[in-house]
Amino acid sequence: MGGSRTGQVLLMLAGLIAWAVQFTAIYGVTSTLCGRGWADATLLGMEVVPMTILSATFVTLAATAVALVWSFRSYRQAKRQPVAIVDDFISHAAVLVNGLSIVVILWHGIPAFILPACA
Amino acid sequence: MNAPELPRSFDPGERELPNPLPRPEGEFETLKRAWKPPRGLAFITAVNNTYVGLWYVGTAFLFFILAGILALIMRAQLASPENDLVSHGLYNQLFTMHGTVMMFLFAVPAVEAASVYLLPNMQAARDLPFPRLSAYAFWAYFVGGLVFFGTIFFGLSPDGGWFMYPPLTSTKYSPADNADWWLLGIGFIEISAIAGAIEIIVGVMKTRAVGMTLDKLPVYSWAMLVFAVMIVIGFPAIILGTLLLEMERAFDWPFFIAERGGDPLLWQHLFWFFGHPEVYIIFLPATGMVSMIVPTMAQTPLVGYRLVVLALIATGFLSFGLWVHHMFATGLPKMSLSFFSAASTAVAVPSGIQVFAWIATIASGRMKLTTPSLFVIGFLFIFTLGGLTGVMVAVAPFDWQAHDSYFVVAHLHYVLIGGMVFPLFAAFYYWVPAASKRALSERLGRWVFGLMFLGVNVTFLPMHVTGLIGMPRRVYTYPVGMGWDALNLVSTVGAFMIAAGVAVFLFDLARNFRFTSEDNAGNVWNASTLEWLPNGNYNTRSIPSITSRDPLWDQPNLSKDVEEGRYYLPGTVTGGREALVTSPFDARPQYILQVPGPGWQPVLAAFFTAAFFLLLTVKLVFPSVICGVLAVGCVIWWLWETDPGPVRPPADIGGGIVLPVYATGPVNHSWWAMIVLMVVSGMVFTCLLFSYLFLWLVNPGAWPPQGVRIPDWIWPSLAALLYCACGALIAVASRQLRGSDRRSPRSVPVLVGVALPLVCGASALDLWTQWESGLSPSAHAYGAAVYAITSLQVFFVLTSLTMGAYTIARWLAGRLDSVRRTTFDNTMLFWYYTIGQGLVGLLMVHGFPRLTGGL
Repeated sequence: MGGSRTGQVLLMLAGLIAWAVQFTAIYGVTSTLCGRGWADATLLGMEVVPMTILSATFVTLAATAVALVWSFRSYRQAKRQPVAIVDDFISHAAVLVNGLSIVVILWHGIPAFILPACA
Repeated sequence: MNAPELPRSFDPGERELPNPLPRPEGEFETLKRAWKPPRGLAFITAVNNTYVGLWYVGTAFLFFILAGILALIMRAQLASPENDLVSHGLYNQLFTMHGTVMMFLFAVPAVEAASVYLLPNMQAARDLPFPRLSAYAFWAYFVGGLVFFGTIFFGLSPDGGWFMYPPLTSTKYSPADNADWWLLGIGFIEISAIAGAIEIIVGVMKTRAVGMTLDKLPVYSWAMLVFAVMIVIGFPAIILGTLLLEMERAFDWPFFIAERGGDPLLWQHLFWFFGHPEVYIIFLPATGMVSMIVPTMAQTPLVGYRLVVLALIATGFLSFGLWVHHMFATGLPKMSLSFFSAASTAVAVPSGIQVFAWIATIASGRMKLTTPSLFVIGFLFIFTLGGLTGVMVAVAPFDWQAHDSYFVVAHLHYVLIGGMVFPLFAAFYYWVPAASKRALSERLGRWVFGLMFLGVNVTFLPMHVTGLIGMPRRVYTYPVGMGWDALNLVSTVGAFMIAAGVAVFLFDLARNFRFTSEDNAGNVWNASTLEWLPNGNYNTRSIPSITSRDPLWDQPNLSKDVEEGRYYLPGTVTGGREALVTSPFDARPQYILQVPGPGWQPVLAAFFTAAFFLLLTVKLVFPSVICGVLAVGCVIWWLWETDPGPVRPPADIGGGIVLPVYATGPVNHSWWAMIVLMVVSGMVFTCLLFSYLFLWLVNPGAWPPQGVRIPDWIWPSLAALLYCACGALIAVASRQLRGSDRRSPRSVPVLVGVALPLVCGASALDLWTQWESGLSPSAHAYGAAVYAITSLQVFFVLTSLTMGAYTIARWLAGRLDSVRRTTFDNTMLFWYYTIGQGLVGLLMVHGFPRLTGGL
């Protein structure tokens, strides 16, 4: 398995970092717009709050999916080649963490379809 | 000098044992002498992890008992309606102290304390990398904690609840010193916790048995690593919160006063950003303990090791997305609440993974029903119930009904007692044979478990109902006829059953616990991990190389070979205390760390640190400042003896591995500690920026408020220029100090000396600019926020100043050169951080109001 140790760790945590970015973005934007009474603000004809949630969810989901594919490849590569067990462990952990993160990110995006922005 | 890379073929599993027999005469005696703790009064200066760990655990348990006694008084008061055993004023102090002491003086210190004892043994390290830091953390906690608890006897205890919400705790409604005891007392105990966390992170990553790669790391070590990282991320929020509230109380800076642009909700955000992860900070180490105990009791490896590690990491992350679920009743938009509701339910998934892994392990082996097993089973039952009610209160509409009722009291006790206290008692019964000549009694242990298990359920199960039928928490009494009488009486009986269980445990402890670091009861459970190797004050005679997660099961002669000194570093190469520093992923030996031994410095530094904060609480400012100066002096005295340099050429540790006795740069353990400290500082600053932005959000059209002038750009630009120049000077000094020829060029102290006034000038210029513009810190939250950012920077600049002067002093004393440069590296890192923080602060204070144009 290639890549530096730092790169391996970042790949392993990529999904959770993406979730943290999504969470910060959706909570930050919702709080700011609702707190300032800008709930009806629109951009390109769409309400900003749901648009932000959907965009942040889509972008972080895409990033996590890329990390998941990448980590899965690394894991399969590690299975085929004689690498140190620690590499196999990290790539397997990366698959698990990124897989879980996809679910968590999706879970956080759902409210945009159900709830009004600032009620 | 960087540590050499080992040959690529290095594989501890395939080699012969590194050191031959017989061992040289006197080798073992020298090792024992080096690690022997001092005798007599100087015994309290011991820094061995076993001694400090034991004192730490003992003190934490003392606070558990003291806080438990407070709980019994409260339960006695509530046993019958309209009881007058205690007054409402005292009752307020009792519940505040009970929560505060349990959370801050028992739960976090207890798990940190256990790790001080266990981690080095479990990883076959000689000690933690900073033993004096552990000692400092313990003594600061010991002195500060006891004094803090003593306030209950003088009516001075805080009385605003363990989460101290303003405006109740503001000067207007709590004018006495009670709240200050909480703010200053707890604030500095948090600093002690952070010191411990730094120690744990570096200890887990850098001091392990050879070959203990990440995939072979004990789950407990993983749990402690996640725990420590969570402390580093979460605790700065409460440190900042206490700082802001204390500044409001002391100087009238209105961060939380709504009439002047502040907002009490800011406190809730800061408190719960720490407070919710705190639950997992307590819970994760306990799960780590359970993951060690279950495989031993079932005599089979843990099922789903990788999934358990995933669960630990995921829990650590997700737990930072839950804090607002304590604020569901504050009127935030439903959309915002839904994000936290989602995270609150999502975090149940990794917790569930761990529970299923333990159940699967129990199912795949033959579980012996020992006392530790009983406590683990009790933990699974009680914690799962607490988790289920946790999912209930994670749903906002339900939470609105149950909020601030006894339902929540029941839920949190099920989670905390189930998730932390029961695993801790399991750990006591499990690990006492590693620290004592005798194991604890199995027969008495069953009584302890039975009384505590029944007691917890008798106390807290009825409380769900008491809450659902309307009894609010924190009431000191209640009228007859509300339907709460019988339920409360049952809860009181249950509380005394728990107390009886703890009393039996104390009796067992007094009867059987005989501390030893030389001839313990041994591996009575046939456990598989390294803390059960034969050990002494030096921990293990030689440092083993391991090939699996269960080395004592898979490497049959390991104990004997380790004890005979056939593995690495069987003696001492410098004549003093040493530890083997290994690489963070592969656990390859990197260098021999010269570990500092006993000394009065950490004890005195801790005492004066505690005195500084405690005297400040009672407004004895001058003596407090003297103690602060003495504390800094003791720390400098302590540090002066560290960074010893390469006192001898590289040494053979066995197996043909020759290691340096000194290393600098990213491989060095103190480099890691400094990076972690910078993360802590960065988090404090980030929380402050969040506070600034939050206050902007709640002050539409008043940022800055009318009549306040933002200083001209020229002044912050000049301050930024000074910061940059200062950074450049440090970079040049670092370049001058390179090389392997032990040069100590005169230009280094000169460059550092020039940088000192520059960094001070930059900070002073910004402060002066704000003051000169007429901005008042007490007129409006805007001014308070601006001065808070500026003041924090002044603090960092003063620290940089001290470190710079110290670095120059090291050069003057001939203790700094191009090889022996760890002191310089640490100063450099901190200095860069201070400059970065200064620049971001300038941008925020001067740029943001212009960017938003007063919106």
